Amino acid sequence: MFKKIIILLLLSIVSLYAIEEQSIQKVVDTKVRQVLDILKDKTLSHTQKDTKNIRIIDDIFDYDIMSQISLGKRWKSLSKNEKTQFTKAFEKKIKHSYLDKLRLYNNQQVIIKELKKVKSNRITLETQIIGVDDTYKVIYLFYKNKQNNQWYIYDVELVGVSIIQTYRKQFSEFLNTKSVKQLIESL
Amino acid sequence: MKLLYFFIFTTVALVTFQGCTTKEATPDLNHQQVKTEITTSDMLQHSIPDNQEAEDQTDGFEDEFSAQETDIASDPLSGYNKVMTSFNDTFFVYLLNPIAKGYAYIIPEPLRIGISNAFQNIQFPIRFVNNLLQGKFQNSSDELERFIINSTVGVAGLMDVATNHMTTPIPAHDEDFGQTLGHYGVGSGFHIVLPFFGPSNVRDIVGLSADAYISPLVNIRGMENYKIPDNFDQSIGIVAVQFINKTSLHLGEYESLKEDAIDLYSFFRDTYEQKRASDIEE
Repeated sequence: MFKKIIILLLLSIVSLYAIEEQSIQKVVDTKVRQVLDILKDKTLSHTQKDTKNIRIIDDIFDYDIMSQISLGKRWKSLSKNEKTQFTKAFEKKIKHSYLDKLRLYNNQQVIIKELKKVKSNRITLETQIIGVDDTYKVIYLFYKNKQNNQWYIYDVELVGVSIIQTYRKQFSEFLNTKSVKQLIESL
Repeated sequence: MKLLYFFIFTTVALVTFQGCTTKEATPDLNHQQVKTEITTSDMLQHSIPDNQEAEDQTDGFEDEFSAQETDIASDPLSGYNKVMTSFNDTFFVYLLNPIAKGYAYIIPEPLRIGISNAFQNIQFPIRFVNNLLQGKFQNSSDELERFIINSTVGVAGLMDVATNHMTTPIPAHDEDFGQTLGHYGVGSGFHIVLPFFGPSNVRDIVGLSADAYISPLVNIRGMENYKIPDNFDQSIGIVAVQFINKTSLHLGEYESLKEDAIDLYSFFRDTYEQKRASDIEE
């Protein structure tokens, strides 16, 4: 009896890891649908929609990693306090920007296209937004967190433009002439 | 007996979890802090992991992102470009956008989409030729099919029948001469911001000029039979309608995009160069 439980337990641990990877497509699909439904819901106010949507996207976006990448090599030179402050400010900025974009595309259709495993710890998920006069390719980039083996989004590519890359460029130029403190303030 | 089971259980569990960690961790790593799963609100209180592992992960990203970085080492026109960027911004905010809003108010959306389709359709020669030049023959034939179907069944291109009303939709394949040059390895050259048209670079300006020859919408002396406008003023008129119509279908997007910018010029320059690089790659 006990043996069976042990075996079951072990099996479930193994399959837990496996499901995480396979379920990316499904999870994104449900999340996109939920977000679109919320956007279409006329009974909710703007702020209500935003809080609801943030709750949906939060557990798949890794804002920590995004902040680190966006600062590049400069990240290491920041004090612990600065790191926390920057991450907080950047997270807010990213969320705001993402929700703002979503609001523009509220009546549109989203198609989940294909999942590609680029490396053992990198997966890209291509989606397509059907707009009024054009279609837009949106790619979500996932990485596998080594500590808990979960997959998180670390970047989003809108029509070939990487969001994090764009911030990275801008931050590095900003920091050429100004301080980290000023950067945090400007966010 | 119970004790034995417990012993077996703990041994098995330990061995398994040990197996997990050694599989995932890098060789030089013996200690590993367990990072809690990142969730909504504790995200803010969550201290940033600065252990060895996190550093390793960033390094992987560091290579990934610096490799993709578009090279804008030389930007000799940055002074002029910045001025032109604010000119274009002012033009957009105070002229084009208000006009487009008024236009959107008067003309119903389906008609505006139709006009947009018709503009797309009439510029078929650009896409057809450039797909051919890049050896993308299937895309060229798709474009030809689209042009024939949309020009006839789609009433002069007003309806995009090939995309919306076919059992197997024929996709459009946007290509221009700038992309063709890029396809054959021509570098982008330095960045130039054009009045009204916005960000561009040396390669893409050459591309635009070449495409103007085959576009039916730009007048060129000696080619009056093929071209729709007979003179420069008519060309300008057509472009103006095209601009206003396009903007009316994308109201609010420019403002939203602008909010992501810390410095408007470098933001538009980088996004433009990234977008072009990705277009060429396809």
